[in-house]
Amino acid sequence: MKSVRIFYTKLGRMKFVSHLDMNRLMIRVIRKSGIPVWYTEGFNRHIYINYAVPLSLGFEGVYEVMDIRLTEDNFSFEETVKRLNAAAPEGIEFLSAEEPVLPTVDIAFAEYELIFDPENAHLYEKLKEFLSRESVICQKKDKKGRIKEFDIIPKIKSAEFAGDKALLTLSAGNEGNLNPSLVLSAFFEEMNISPVFCSVKRLMLFDKDLKPFK
Amino acid sequence: MPTSPRLNCEVKMNEKEFERLLLSVQKPGRYSGGEINSVIKDKEKVDVRFAFCFPDTYEIGMSHLGMKILYSQFNSREDIWCERVFAPWVDFEEKMREHNIPLFALESRDSIRDFDFIGFTLQYELSYTNVLNMLDLAGVPLRSEDRKDLSPLVVAGGPCVCNAEPLADFVDLFFLGEGEEVDLEVIDLYKEFKKKGGSKADFLKEAAKIEGVYVPSLYDVSYNEDGTVSAVTPKDGAPKTVKKRIIKDMDNCFYPDKFVVPFIEIVHDRAVQEVFRGCIRGCRFCQAGFIYRPVREKSADTVDRQARALCESTGYDEISLSSLSTSDYTELEPLLNQMLCWTEPNEISLALPSLRVDNFSKELLDKINHVRKSGLTFAPEAGTQRLRDVINKNVTEEEIFRTCKTAFEGGYTAVKLYFMLGLPTETDEDLAGIADLGQRIIDLFYSLPERPKGKSPSVSISVSTFVPKPFTPFQFEPQIERDEIERRQTVLKYSNKNRRVNISWHDSSTSLLEGAFARGDRRLGRVIESAFKKGCKFDSWNECFKPELWEEAFKENGLSPEFYAGRKREYSEINPWDHLDYGVTKRFLICENQRAHRAETTPNCREKCAGCGANCYGEGVCYEKR
Repeated sequence: MKSVRIFYTKLGRMKFVSHLDMNRLMIRVIRKSGIPVWYTEGFNRHIYINYAVPLSLGFEGVYEVMDIRLTEDNFSFEETVKRLNAAAPEGIEFLSAEEPVLPTVDIAFAEYELIFDPENAHLYEKLKEFLSRESVICQKKDKKGRIKEFDIIPKIKSAEFAGDKALLTLSAGNEGNLNPSLVLSAFFEEMNISPVFCSVKRLMLFDKDLKPFK
Repeated sequence: MPTSPRLNCEVKMNEKEFERLLLSVQKPGRYSGGEINSVIKDKEKVDVRFAFCFPDTYEIGMSHLGMKILYSQFNSREDIWCERVFAPWVDFEEKMREHNIPLFALESRDSIRDFDFIGFTLQYELSYTNVLNMLDLAGVPLRSEDRKDLSPLVVAGGPCVCNAEPLADFVDLFFLGEGEEVDLEVIDLYKEFKKKGGSKADFLKEAAKIEGVYVPSLYDVSYNEDGTVSAVTPKDGAPKTVKKRIIKDMDNCFYPDKFVVPFIEIVHDRAVQEVFRGCIRGCRFCQAGFIYRPVREKSADTVDRQARALCESTGYDEISLSSLSTSDYTELEPLLNQMLCWTEPNEISLALPSLRVDNFSKELLDKINHVRKSGLTFAPEAGTQRLRDVINKNVTEEEIFRTCKTAFEGGYTAVKLYFMLGLPTETDEDLAGIADLGQRIIDLFYSLPERPKGKSPSVSISVSTFVPKPFTPFQFEPQIERDEIERRQTVLKYSNKNRRVNISWHDSSTSLLEGAFARGDRRLGRVIESAFKKGCKFDSWNECFKPELWEEAFKENGLSPEFYAGRKREYSEINPWDHLDYGVTKRFLICENQRAHRAETTPNCREKCAGCGANCYGEGVCYEKR
């Protein structure tokens, strides 16, 4: 048995698939592909899949990561990718299968691309201004429904602006994950702007040294 | 010609705008399209575009086997592109109307207004307002007479077609019975007419000559003073009676090797393998048991091969063997043995719905157990042996207890039982018998030395309200009134003394409406249209059902649901569906009705032929060697 880390995209219509539905979809894609995947041995046997960082409904991603296990050590990474792609719906493309280098808990940051509609291009300046504040206190409900206050600014590693888009690198992973939708809603609220559409795409996952997560 | 405002508004949805609307509604996966195995074609290269519409939500429609079969079959032809359309849920409908988005097909996102066929499957009566709402959302005139062009043709099939009169004003053409052959014959005829520029009127006249096609506009209905039908008169060469179509050879009949696999969870989220059509039993309340006759089986090899192909193409890890009564399949044991050879190593679980208590064996239980243990569900339908005899549910109490014993000893602790309330001749004693049966099943559990240790049993009893349907022996019976339904529910509630027996029932407020449509005539079209215009839709959904609007709609049109549902019908009365022929004769239904009132049972088709008339098809169980 070997562990395999799989990199894939979630683009186009696939943005409408929630994480829970995505899991069901992946199970079917894997089963359809016929790769020798490992099932858990428990009472309720199921395919072992571990997703590095779930992606919210509505977002796209080009560096999505899931770990599975194969029961045949000699089964090649190329064949794995080829078979999975043959079974995948449009919008999901398997990019590569590799031996995992880092444990998923090492994920520390994620880079997102934010794009406003052309008619809202003036918002990039405002966003820049907003993100340069000393602190922005946000409220968030935790799992028990309690409202928790926290500052989002320390969780923003970097923000770059390239005219027609913004690139934000935000804390990610088990500890202190910051969802870009939270940044956007705080931005609209604090700057007194009525919310407008912003397309969000996750471009990359990093470790704590900002090296691509492998 | 009346024009809906949308007709003037040529919107080919802008992808970006559309996506944003989707992100603002519940479950966008209902509308996104792009699922695995959905079929995309070049619209320039097909002759016929068919919008297959299911008048309910995506989750319900996508669970429907008939749609999967016809979708794949139509698309197996190069000249046809069949696409799926579902009723948008109220949140998305609101957005569609606000943004002038006409009803679209999921595959191409093109407005279905421009399709050649708009085809509905009519699975239950309470979906009728959704049919009108979908036509309206598409920007298509509701009434057949207001659609002058050859296309779009509005057609419909499914079990409700056996009395489709309430929709007669809106639908151009109905398919009676199984669609695999007749649908394509009509499509081919349409192709000819489209090519030569023929008119809709001529097309309908010609189509009416095809067996299994019912064109309601070619029949004049006249009424007696008391409101009953006095005559149904065909014109323009339409046949006096229209006979339903069946597929004779199930082994060579088309069956999909792929299902569209949804992104969101649907009601039946698994592969479904049909094993036979029809039912040998003849339970007198069950419309499906009569209109799908005669029983025709697939061979075990065919079932096994088709099921395996489906699992491979979909990635599903569960497959159910589907029919009206799967334990009546003659080759069930060998089939299960054959299937377990590949389902087990591939981690696929086998589901057997519709099991009967009278032929449920320990071996069968072990085979299902092999994969996954879930609850057991049975349908005794009535609480006393007398009433079970009346409805011809040939199940004895002894069999029920034997099955429960087998199940309990096999490790099950939960049993779910289905019953009906309001059956003909039902008394309070029959109702008390329901709770009593639950109580005695609990007692049985504790009396078994080999019961699962340390667990307590539970019996869930689900009670639905009986609605008499056409083409059943109970088509002559009055449906009980609302107050009486409530009284009987109360009797039932107070007759249960055990807290391990849980009795629940369906809301009865829609039953009267369902009953009226089931046995209604075409005058009800006006009522449906009024109700739709008042805002009725999704009537089978509690949160959407608006009884007060329906009441108004009936009143305004001078009709009452009680006339259709609550009245005892004489055998001699001409019913609105008597010009349709489903193989089973009215003479047989009368005879069965009389037997019911004498509490006499009728043996199943394999025990002894009861002479229902379905042998006219020359196929199936009627000709099995015995």
